[in-house]
Amino acid sequence: MNDRLPLSVISGYLGAGKTTLINRVLAEKHGQRLFVLVNDFGAICIDECLLESATEDTLVLANGCVCCTMGADLFLAVGDILDRADRPDHLLIEASGIADPSRIAQVAKAEPQLAYGGITTVVDAQLLPKQLQDLRIGKQVRQQIAAADLVCISKATSSDPASEPLLDAQACAPIVNLAKVDQISPALLGLRPSNIPARYLTGHNSYISWQYSGKIKLCRAALLAKLKQRPDDILRLKGFVSNDDETAWQVQCVGPTTSIKPVGQPLATTLVAIGLSDRITEDEIERWWRR
Amino acid sequence: MSEITLFEARNIITMDVNRPLATHVAVREGEILAVGGEDCAQQWGTARLDRSLKHAVLMPGFVEGHAHMTAGAIWRYAYAGYHDRYDPSGVLWPGLRDIDAFIIRMRERLDELQPEMPLIGWGFDPIFLPGERLNRHHLDRISRARPVAIMFSNFHIMCVNSVALEMAGLDSTTDAEGVTKDSAGEPTGELREHASMFPVMHRLNIDFRGLNRQPDSIRAYAEVARRVGVTTATDLFSRLQDCDIDTMLQVTGQTDFMLRIVPALAAQEAPMDVAKRAMEIRKRSRDNLRLGAVKIMTDGAIQGWTARVKSPGYVGGKPNGIWNTPPERIFALVEEMHQCGIQMHIHVNGDEAAEVTLDALEAALCKHPWPSHRHVLQHCQLMGRDLYRRAAELGVCCNIFANHIWYFGDQHAAITIGEDRALRMDACRTALDVGVNIAIHSDAPVTPMAPLFTAWCAVNRKTMSERTLGAAQCISVQEALFAITMGAAYTLKLDGEIGSVETGKRADFAILGADPYEVDPMNLKDVEVLGTVFGGAVNLL
Repeated sequence: MNDRLPLSVISGYLGAGKTTLINRVLAEKHGQRLFVLVNDFGAICIDECLLESATEDTLVLANGCVCCTMGADLFLAVGDILDRADRPDHLLIEASGIADPSRIAQVAKAEPQLAYGGITTVVDAQLLPKQLQDLRIGKQVRQQIAAADLVCISKATSSDPASEPLLDAQACAPIVNLAKVDQISPALLGLRPSNIPARYLTGHNSYISWQYSGKIKLCRAALLAKLKQRPDDILRLKGFVSNDDETAWQVQCVGPTTSIKPVGQPLATTLVAIGLSDRITEDEIERWWRR
Repeated sequence: MSEITLFEARNIITMDVNRPLATHVAVREGEILAVGGEDCAQQWGTARLDRSLKHAVLMPGFVEGHAHMTAGAIWRYAYAGYHDRYDPSGVLWPGLRDIDAFIIRMRERLDELQPEMPLIGWGFDPIFLPGERLNRHHLDRISRARPVAIMFSNFHIMCVNSVALEMAGLDSTTDAEGVTKDSAGEPTGELREHASMFPVMHRLNIDFRGLNRQPDSIRAYAEVARRVGVTTATDLFSRLQDCDIDTMLQVTGQTDFMLRIVPALAAQEAPMDVAKRAMEIRKRSRDNLRLGAVKIMTDGAIQGWTARVKSPGYVGGKPNGIWNTPPERIFALVEEMHQCGIQMHIHVNGDEAAEVTLDALEAALCKHPWPSHRHVLQHCQLMGRDLYRRAAELGVCCNIFANHIWYFGDQHAAITIGEDRALRMDACRTALDVGVNIAIHSDAPVTPMAPLFTAWCAVNRKTMSERTLGAAQCISVQEALFAITMGAAYTLKLDGEIGSVETGKRADFAILGADPYEVDPMNLKDVEVLGTVFGGAVNLL
């Protein structure tokens, strides 16, 4: 069972920029066949030349990505995707503006055929201070931020530096300003920067990656203890860790969340991690792993 | 000339002030031709006298203004609840009062299934079974070979046996919050929330909502209704895809189908899309299937601490509830539906949710005048006099969840909102006093559909512990009977067609074994329902 489908949730209050982020991920070059479940198509905007076909509830893109409305029951839709003969590489779910994203992401922890791909919460830099204090919605906005494995700031301008400290107080997760990264799909999907064409790495922040492959074996407790010590600025860490001669662990760490699932076959240990180059270096990750 | 049938009854309670009581009603082509004594139809020609109901009491067919079609379909699964309950075929399933009774019943139900089929139960409520929490060891006593899954009455928790856990791949290595573990780190079998139930639901192919889309489920719903005297029932939160409507039209259009269904489209998409869809499907309405209204969710439920309540909130410092639709979206949906002329049924349990919704309705009304909108607040459990006044000012109807008083009243006083607000919850008296058009409802299958029981709740306000919860909010038998007939018909904009036994209206009646005015109000719930008349056709049980 090492072909688990990674499931990620995109959360954020109404108007925070979830759809903009989804449009951006669909348009980026990441080489993955994404399946995106959205609430409605209203704001999904796909360049005509990228569009292969469109029906009332499904858009198929030339790059192999599919965007689909989820209908009345999200989990039934997830079940249908698992039953497909051609499973996508990654499943992205747009949570409704008020949903607690952890209630959706939990399914990736419970279901053996899914891998935990994390929760990304988008916050509107302009509206955040007001939203956090709003007696009616503040609690649910805080909950979305607290549940996040990655917080993406949208609509930030240089004149409002206030949102980051505010977020720091609410979030356990790394915070990324969407205006300052060229590509967001590595942070969202856990790609290695080698997949990113070099021209995307100019100017703004770029990603660093670290990888390990070797013979190390770890029992569950030792692996959990190790992962608990990992540097906070690792956005994602994933791969397999050998357990004994017959089994291994599949590891998915996203922001502060750690998810380990068993694999019923022997596998060598191979791990990859990514972070933003202005926050962390490969050496720091290497030092943690060797410690 | 079509045939005229003159029904003779012991008594007819008409709900029409011009002739409150009668003994005869003449019917032609499904319509009431005349009401009065034995000579009432003389002006209209020769009538065939039907004396088959002469010992019965007739009332207008009851109108259930808030229920769900699942109330019929769910009986495909085994009932595992604490309270006695009738299934659509009229079989009484006695409540399961202890764990052994539960296990014996479930074992019997398993034996009735095809070999290999999993046992799926519903309606289990741990509140009423003190002691150890239900776990896989209990369910293993039902079967060690076949999967067993028991859905709790709140639909948020499920318990499964060891076979089901194994099948779903849930074991000590599963690390998910909702998959409950014992002290040894093994799953207990209790799965909390839908994400954790997913591995089991997916593999056992359980789809509670999808059940509604089958013809048998629609017929089962009509049976549930017939047994309690209901001739018009809502289905408040329906997907209503074209294929669903095709099926519903086909089933409800059969001549022996005895229920008028009023579904409300679930408003789950962008406001404009919902409005467009509601207007499209409205064109497909038929006599027995009335389409066009929408249902909007706002908050959760008080007993789950998810309703949005005003200060001082929940007792014991529990945090305020959650919005299912954020306030901004409520405003947007309400305005869009309102300006498109679409009637809304809006779920509001907590008073904060009701207040936000009334604000949204007022804003929409100021922009787009529509005197006869008749939007309906549904549940209305914590609305005080101020909010009912506003509802009256805006012409907004209130469909009040009276059954809650008996089923959950003690718990509301003790653990959710506390004594004083429990005393004035589901405030039918206040609503009537300030001039709101009210209906009262069951929310079946949350509580069983039975309008006379619902009326009993509103009249007596008794809880399960036999206390009277807020005597000041009791209403009279007459007012309660009006609420389950004309009151509910008004909320569906059908009061010109149904809701009273009155010339020109549909010949839809509830056939009763006793006169609700003659029995002690404490026995109102025990008045026997003998069947219904639907469009002039008699359907005795």
